[in-house]
Amino acid sequence: MERAAVLERLSIARAPIRWRTVTVRDVVDETPQARTLVLDVPDWPGHVAGQHVDVRLTAEDGYQAQRSYSIASAPEDQRLALTIERLDDGEVSPYLAGEVRPGDEFEIRGPVGGHFTWRVQDGGPLLLVAGGSGLVPLMAMLRHRAAQGSDVEARLLLSARSLGDVFYRDELSALDGVRVSYTLTRERPADWNGYDRRVDAEILADVGPAASADPLIFVCGPTAFVEQAAESLVSLGHEPGAIRTERFGPTGR
Amino acid sequence: MTEEALWLDGNGLAGLLVEVFGAEMTTVPHDCQSCGERNAVGAHRAYAGAGTVLRCPVCGDVALRIATLPDRHVVEVRGAWRLEVARD
Repeated sequence: MERAAVLERLSIARAPIRWRTVTVRDVVDETPQARTLVLDVPDWPGHVAGQHVDVRLTAEDGYQAQRSYSIASAPEDQRLALTIERLDDGEVSPYLAGEVRPGDEFEIRGPVGGHFTWRVQDGGPLLLVAGGSGLVPLMAMLRHRAAQGSDVEARLLLSARSLGDVFYRDELSALDGVRVSYTLTRERPADWNGYDRRVDAEILADVGPAASADPLIFVCGPTAFVEQAAESLVSLGHEPGAIRTERFGPTGR
Repeated sequence: MTEEALWLDGNGLAGLLVEVFGAEMTTVPHDCQSCGERNAVGAHRAYAGAGTVLRCPVCGDVALRIATLPDRHVVEVRGAWRLEVARD
């Protein structure tokens, strides 16, 4: 490998971080619980698929609340997009996924997180495993793959409560060369022929690729979902080091 | 609430770590002082409470503690960290 490439891989980028005020350009309903916010960001430095931003809201009395949200848009997209699911007892998401209107402003910093990222040059095969809104950073990877015209083998397994809870459904069905599998854990259409239970080793073995193909694996979802999926993958012989995880907990995303 | 629900990935701390270290830290390898395993900071377990604690994903030993006070972060690092910071 070229010395420059080695350095590129080993060294960490110096990244002074600052809060930027962003303006909501557009609001798109994804499901009854989730919305995509399309943002105008001054001097956005660009991002890598899989990264997130920290969002900070400041109340009139100065009280601040901060959360991390995954970036939904591809690096190639014109504007930054976040998809945010409303947690009814949340402090930040009811505003971002409910009340916010075009023209509103809030602060973000980032992009941050170099561990849970994928670029087309990282290759594949790619196995993406999403629980609910854990699809967001994985969608950024698939959008990036599509924008680059990449033919890296990619498979997505998405677990959701019902079809109505699935983000980006039309876009997912239109993705070129990506095998998308669904499991619906709570409610299914009468003619459903996908999976109908929580992700387990049997489903993951079925979706593939096998451990012998050395896939790059990204798992994102609620903590319990990620635990279950990661354990199942290890039981199928996948190297723990090949499995990247991103959990979100009770205060999360 | 189970204990598992209380921790996230070290990757989720990326913003705080940039604030503290001035660089993207989640890809940095850390050797645990207890079990000796090497894992990327982003693959550690992050616990948020009164402060923030990063624990080895293999044995659970503390790798990093950050207490955030009104005017500063107080940082304690444990084990071996290898940082290679790009020069301008």
